[in-house]
Amino acid sequence: MFYKALMLLALGSLSAHGASVCPATAPAGAWGLEYQVSASQSGAEPRQVQLLRRGAQTALYSPEHQMAEWWHFEDPKRPGFSRVFDQQQRRIDYYMGDLRALGVQAQQEEVESFAARHLLGQLTKQGSSPCEHAERYQGEINGVSYDLLWSPVLAAPLAIVTRKGEVERRWQADKLLGKDAVNARFATWQRYRETDFADIGDMENDPFLAKMINQGFIEHREHAVYNDQGQPLATGHSH
Amino acid sequence: MEMKKLALVMATIAALGLAGCNDGDDGVAGTPGADGANGNNGTDGRDFTAVNQWYLAGQSTVAKAAESTISDPAGKAKNVILFVGDGMGVSTLTAARIFEGQQQGKSGEENRLSFETFPYSGLVKTYSSNQQTPDSAPTMSAIVTGAKTKDGMLSITDDAVRGDCASGQGHEMVSALALAEMAGMSTGVVSTARLTHATPAATYAHSVERNWEADSNMPAAAITAGCTDIASQLIDFPYGDGIEVALGGGRTYFMPNTENDPEYGSAGRRNDGRDLTSEWTSKHAGSSYVWNLDQFMSVDLATTKHLLGLFENSHMQYEADRSDDSAGEPSLAQMTSRALDMLKQNDKGYFLMVEGGRIDHAHHAGNAARALEDTVALSEAVRVAMEKAGPDTLILVTADHSHVFTIAGYPVRGNPILGLVRSVDENGEAAKTLSVDANGMPYTTLGYANGPGFGFGSSPVNMASARPDLNLYDVTDVDYRQEATVPLGSETHAGEDVAVYAMGPGAQLVTGSVEQNMLFHVMNYAADLEARAEANQP
Repeated sequence: MFYKALMLLALGSLSAHGASVCPATAPAGAWGLEYQVSASQSGAEPRQVQLLRRGAQTALYSPEHQMAEWWHFEDPKRPGFSRVFDQQQRRIDYYMGDLRALGVQAQQEEVESFAARHLLGQLTKQGSSPCEHAERYQGEINGVSYDLLWSPVLAAPLAIVTRKGEVERRWQADKLLGKDAVNARFATWQRYRETDFADIGDMENDPFLAKMINQGFIEHREHAVYNDQGQPLATGHSH
Repeated sequence: MEMKKLALVMATIAALGLAGCNDGDDGVAGTPGADGANGNNGTDGRDFTAVNQWYLAGQSTVAKAAESTISDPAGKAKNVILFVGDGMGVSTLTAARIFEGQQQGKSGEENRLSFETFPYSGLVKTYSSNQQTPDSAPTMSAIVTGAKTKDGMLSITDDAVRGDCASGQGHEMVSALALAEMAGMSTGVVSTARLTHATPAATYAHSVERNWEADSNMPAAAITAGCTDIASQLIDFPYGDGIEVALGGGRTYFMPNTENDPEYGSAGRRNDGRDLTSEWTSKHAGSSYVWNLDQFMSVDLATTKHLLGLFENSHMQYEADRSDDSAGEPSLAQMTSRALDMLKQNDKGYFLMVEGGRIDHAHHAGNAARALEDTVALSEAVRVAMEKAGPDTLILVTADHSHVFTIAGYPVRGNPILGLVRSVDENGEAAKTLSVDANGMPYTTLGYANGPGFGFGSSPVNMASARPDLNLYDVTDVDYRQEATVPLGSETHAGEDVAVYAMGPGAQLVTGSVEQNMLFHVMNYAADLEARAEANQP
């Protein structure tokens, strides 16, 4: 049982962060990590974000908003992308030309690693780690200090803490999701009514799409360490 | 069955008072005035013909026009080719003309798209029977059936209710393509959009809802009531010996959800278990189904009688991205060329509809560069048709509707059409600095009245209260999104007239300002489709 391999770690007062999950091996098939995302001084309750992986597919899901960004990297140079809306049971599919026309560029490694993969090369690997099967990295980039707990077997972060001034933001994985849960979610999304992004301009009489058209397809990316412009999200909300 | 359908269209046309071309809608020409081309109208004895190249070119054009005679009888056209640029408004044509010219290293303004050399042209009113600004469903229905209808409905009379299956039953309007099949002609549908998308679908399908592209897109009540999805209607097309050539995108709508796409691996969208691609090859002797460029170019056109090509899961790639497609896709010109090679083998003639389907989508995204590249691709397809079609072929080029796309400012001649406006100085020479707005900011020649707005990034709505400094951006990049006045997630269609260009027998009927449904009657008159269909019945 994979869960038996998890190592529970307590948050130490001197540690920048801990980890509630720390797998020794990469699970076969699909898996997911559920993160608690919080920020100091915000006064807001921590939010959950899920990173779901299955083969070349990766989704970033917000249980709070019941929305997901679902990437397909079967052909990494020509990724497919869907925006999923659980509440409405709808999906917007973007094809290569749509993404290019919208200026959306995504690197497979970054999406799969919760937008943290590139940090490894910019931070310093520490000699010790609060987790036996994870590596710890620290350092400062553009005035933002980072403390990263990285799982080599998952190629994903288990925890990230960023600090800039008095503001601290924390992403911490606290639950490993099994393949059944992830497969079920992907299957559910696959059954949703889909609309090609290229077609929404012709469908203003669709109340759901009309709402999306009027609000725009804003990519918050606030769950990621970096936004889609490669800028660190250390100062709070960013579009 | 066929005669019943034929009777329907004739009755519909008669009821609407649109039969024939004698109702004044065709803009019967009045008495020609003096051509003014001899340069003798001046009062000071000057030889006006010596003024400059502009004067001489205009004089030559009028002289050629004066030599033409207009006396084509009904049925003079053996073949009809209808080109539709989806969303290709007049401003798109102007910008694409300049874009193409500048791609060739010229100033651009003097360039002409292939169809701009046609001898006849006019303006087309695009409103639908219930909206000032229409979508592609009623506009294409008008073009191919001869009567306007409501938005969202495909070749169904406008007394039906959108999305109400029963309301459309018995109200189907027969299209020019169906008439051609009844007449024993060969027919073809080519598009860079999904073949089930509104514009191509209006030629062969009847639906009270344009979005019923596969059965999975339909409510159960509509299926129970006897309505069928658009993809299945292409395969089950009941007239003549079926459509000979169908090329475009939309593969997933033809595949069962138990099969995975050969290019993307995703499941098909059909819940009814039908594999329409295999049904196509089973139904037609000497038929082929292809889904990539290599397969398409390998088809033996001499022996293939029915060809289905589905080159993308959804819409085909934009022309700007086509070379990057992993499976390979033909261009619109390549599809047009090979379609004509097949269709021309029928001695009874052919009807071919070709759509540049992605001009519309690029505009919706606020991305002018892709819209212009796809417009140029349509021009290339028309150029192929001009070369392959004989003098017995009527060629029409038009659009279903326009977009809120503008060409603004006073750029100097030859200024990059995708670039920032650089005007002229007090001497009429190129200004040394860019033109700027009231805030001192430069602006692009091309823009949109609404839409996603400025930039490259993933936040498509221009939410900023101030305009960005475009000096900091490469606004000529293919991915650049032009600014929009009203921030919307998707740019909208526009309601002004579009252009129509015509050459070949019957082309002279295309002149002045006409209703969109009149274009069907031009084709019907020129090729005598109804009479040929009646005569071909057993």
